[in-house]
Amino acid sequence: MRLLKLIVAVGGFLFVLVSLFQKKGERMKGVAFLAGWLVPGAGHVLLGKWKKGLFFFTILGATYLFGMWISGFRPVSFDDNPFYFVGQYGSGLTLLIAKLRGAQKAIIRPGLDPSWFDPGLLYVCVVGLLNLVVMLSLVDAKALGGEEPATPAGLEASALPAVPTVGAPASAPEKPA
Amino acid sequence: MNGVSYLLLFFPIVLVILVVLEAARSDDPKAILKRALANLGVLTAVLVLGGAFVYVINRWF
Repeated sequence: MRLLKLIVAVGGFLFVLVSLFQKKGERMKGVAFLAGWLVPGAGHVLLGKWKKGLFFFTILGATYLFGMWISGFRPVSFDDNPFYFVGQYGSGLTLLIAKLRGAQKAIIRPGLDPSWFDPGLLYVCVVGLLNLVVMLSLVDAKALGGEEPATPAGLEASALPAVPTVGAPASAPEKPA
Repeated sequence: MNGVSYLLLFFPIVLVILVVLEAARSDDPKAILKRALANLGVLTAVLVLGGAFVYVINRWF
């Protein structure tokens, strides 16, 4: 119950934050930003780029599963590595899985070399961090193939004051006859 | 060799990172793959040369 409240609070805070920075008509991007945190690639799907969204979901999901497979399908605990522990929360889905799996400490999968343990945790962490990059690409108009920002009203070329050309002869004062 | 087998995990994770970073800023799949592979080559070269340098330093100096 406490976790649910925390998720709702963090989600609400992010939503308000994103909404404040969005212009009118771009609220969908804010919603997509949140959806992108919850499920990797969902933000792109919401904005109509479903191929890209599916690609991100597949590649990040496969990487996460591989990392979890190495670490015995147990999430990164704070004792294993504090940085990896924080990094894995870059996605709501990984956060949910980590909470559902409980506080079991990660162990190397039997049969694997012990030296694979740390890279396995790294794989899990990297998925969270990469999801943050994917989320940020949602608010980047260029990455989404959006239009260039229009010229602000009142700044049309015709309305701008004429700039004098350097070196141009100034109008000479008339000589007295 | 088994002790350093974890180095094999370098390639998939770096490739995933580079592909996702490129995909986040571009739409052309060919360009994404091309740039990601080129960057993977550069990073691998840096890793190998750095490793060789450290090996040489430790072995003979």
